[in-house]
Amino acid sequence: MKMAGAIIENMSTKKLLIVGVILLLFQVFSFMVGGLIAPSPTTAVPYIATKCVDVVHHNQRKNKWFTPWGPNQCNKIRDFEEATAKRIEANNIVFAVHIPGPNKEMSAWFQFMLVILQFDIAFKMYNQIDDGAVVTIDVGLAYRDDSVSEWTEMAHSIEQRKLSCNFTTEKTIENEGRYYECDLLPFMEVGNVAHKYYLLNIRLPVNERKQVNIGIGEIKDIRLVGIHQNGGFTKVWFAMKTFLTPSILIIMIWYWRRITLMTRPPVLLEKMIFALGLSMTFINIPVEWFSVGFNWTWMLLFGDIRQGIFYAMLLSFWIIFCGEHLMDQTERNRFSVYWKQIGPIVFGSFCLFIFDMCERGVQLKNPFFSIWASEVGTELAMAFIIVAGICACLYFLFLCFMVYQVFRNISGKRSSLPAMTRARRLHYEGLIFRFKFLMLVTLACAAMTVIFFIISQVNEGHWHWGDYTVQVNSAFFTGIYGMWNLYVFALLFLYAPSHKQYGDGQSNGDQGANSGEDIQLTTTITHVDGPTEIYKMTGKESQE
Amino acid sequence: MYCVRSLCHRYLAKLSSVGSISDEKTCEKLRGLIQRQVQLCKRNLEVMDAVRRGAQIAIDECQYQFRNRRWNCSTLETVPVFGKVVTQGTREAAFVYAISAASVAFAVTRACSSGELEKCGCDRNVHGFSPEGFQWSGCSDNIAYGVAFSQSFVDVRERGKGQSSSRALMNLHNNEAGRKAILSNMRVECKCHGVSGSCELKTCWKAMPPFRKVGNVIKEKFDGATEVEQRKIGSTKVLVPRNSQFKPHTDEDLVYLDPSPDFCDYDPRTPGMLGTAGRHCNKTSKAIDGCELMCCGRGFHTEEVEVVDRCSCKFHWCCYVKCKQCRKMVEMHTCR
Repeated sequence: MKMAGAIIENMSTKKLLIVGVILLLFQVFSFMVGGLIAPSPTTAVPYIATKCVDVVHHNQRKNKWFTPWGPNQCNKIRDFEEATAKRIEANNIVFAVHIPGPNKEMSAWFQFMLVILQFDIAFKMYNQIDDGAVVTIDVGLAYRDDSVSEWTEMAHSIEQRKLSCNFTTEKTIENEGRYYECDLLPFMEVGNVAHKYYLLNIRLPVNERKQVNIGIGEIKDIRLVGIHQNGGFTKVWFAMKTFLTPSILIIMIWYWRRITLMTRPPVLLEKMIFALGLSMTFINIPVEWFSVGFNWTWMLLFGDIRQGIFYAMLLSFWIIFCGEHLMDQTERNRFSVYWKQIGPIVFGSFCLFIFDMCERGVQLKNPFFSIWASEVGTELAMAFIIVAGICACLYFLFLCFMVYQVFRNISGKRSSLPAMTRARRLHYEGLIFRFKFLMLVTLACAAMTVIFFIISQVNEGHWHWGDYTVQVNSAFFTGIYGMWNLYVFALLFLYAPSHKQYGDGQSNGDQGANSGEDIQLTTTITHVDGPTEIYKMTGKESQE
Repeated sequence: MYCVRSLCHRYLAKLSSVGSISDEKTCEKLRGLIQRQVQLCKRNLEVMDAVRRGAQIAIDECQYQFRNRRWNCSTLETVPVFGKVVTQGTREAAFVYAISAASVAFAVTRACSSGELEKCGCDRNVHGFSPEGFQWSGCSDNIAYGVAFSQSFVDVRERGKGQSSSRALMNLHNNEAGRKAILSNMRVECKCHGVSGSCELKTCWKAMPPFRKVGNVIKEKFDGATEVEQRKIGSTKVLVPRNSQFKPHTDEDLVYLDPSPDFCDYDPRTPGMLGTAGRHCNKTSKAIDGCELMCCGRGFHTEEVEVVDRCSCKFHWCCYVKCKQCRKMVEMHTCR
């Protein structure tokens, strides 16, 4: 058989139950770690930009930074009526935002920082937002690590964002002064937070001749929302990764040793399980520890890639697992047999990879870049996502079809089971059990993931339980992450080849009588471990 | 016109007119603040600037919401207050209390977001175990701080007088209703930022509504305000609807004790009761801004005036408007 008697087949129900309970305990533990110890995964901090006045136009001069508060703060105005009265023009206004607020410091534990931009635009009967209005933003980002030194420029860019605002009430004189409802605009994404203080200076230059920033309505305020991962969550997450890495690594070594101990070379499914373990370890290895000490901005992208590889591997594993349990007398055991099913996975992941490179890859160079900001970019991004979506659909069709085939074959085999010899019957029963077990566990894991995903989307993020606050979102992340780790762990453990030695004394007559069927049996088995295979099977049977 | 309860809200008007509150001395000079407020002012100097701005936006919003009514809120800041306090707990009083409590919460929250205040919800541990505050779990919403400050600063006036008076109960209720108008209209906004921007990772936050929206909500509550009376249930005094057939008011509804006067005529004995003589009205409207109702049946003058209006303008997003001047003749109706 393909995997000569996996551990799961040879294990007694009692032992299997014990393993199950232990895994379940770990599962509960991983949910609790997130729900009770960790804070919510991310924090959103709202900022309102301070309106600074650039008295002398500094555009041509060397960089000058405008600080909204603290020492050396800029010359501010409260609102634009004041500016009109003082005859200050749009080009002399700099919106300044200091991240974070007073008496706070950013920290490398925040991992990433992304900033959302929102305009408060008041409705004016004669100064409405034009259709398809585009704002041109001249933005600079600077940092410093103590509150007295000069600001150092990190990035500077001139960006365009499409305003999509609608006015929900009637456009009459009566409703002047109400605000438009504008969509959130992606503004900035930085892949690590290596500095304590950040400063954003935003200008909206007006150029009537070039029609720059004309017809964007009467802007009242610029609001930003800074999102970063919570330091507490990062620490819990790292701790979890640091604990999980050796666990999976040890079971992987154990698994591979078992395989090499066998007389036959490993079969495809065994290699696949090992690869799955490898990709899990790849995610687990806590390289993020370095992001605390080093200024590595590519960590976000790297994390995406690691997750992508794991997902692709998991999906491929399911296909191959189904394929290897088809029981339809065809020789598989080669990767190339599955190109039709694996193809969509590879292609879909590749599309998402390209998309991610276009977004987060470019953001390494220019943190203000957004693929969604330009027309062409949006179309390209949509194309990638749609193709990836089609691939995903195709994959699930294949997978469902394969599962259906397996079940059809199972029911076919079921009816003919009593007529088979015991060895053959045990072989098929083993296959069926193995398949059904994984099917059940996989479905349970997938259902858990989906259910928790929905809960975390619908819920506001935390539940109060008497004095305790349960962070549902954090519990979702640690719980689901722990679950897939346990899944891989269980696979490596339960589907490792069994070395259980059965009694050698068996009746030769029995074997002889079965030989006719055994030959047929071996056609579905690619690498039979010599005669021991049959010994084992018949041995098991004779033991029982 | 009619100042709701002149003395009580004079401090808002006063606050909105002072330049800036920079040291503890200014707190003492501010007239209209009660002793407990002066203490709060001294302890929270940096917040007082926001409170002052809050007072201003409350007045602006009140005047906007009531621009077409007989009582148009405009005298809050200008009427000199003499002698006897007008202690009527009318609908209008309910509105003024609600909008001022809301505006203080609003302005303080805004000041938090623009980095003007140092405390803002981060000094308190929000989630129980928060050893390093901001670094571990971030701060709580600014609105929580704004509302808490409004509760301590605005409500202290009523608490000082003792809970028992029905007027204090009404004011406290309306203050809370004003703050609720912000809290229950917070917009939840979300951003997905998981792998490839998927919603695997989603962060949501609450954004404060524009103050115009808050004003509209409170105005709606004004229109549907409940007339109440004080009743003793057990040992506590509560406000219950005067008409027992009405369903009881919620935390978000405005309540009042006394029916409003008609605001038609000038009354020298009641400060702020200026009447509607001289007010502009709309000839075609049948509503309260129509000449029939606004002028209380006294009739109105009509005169033709030339209005200089701006037309075919060019705008920049800020501070620059280039217009032609257009003149047109408009009929103007004024109450007798």
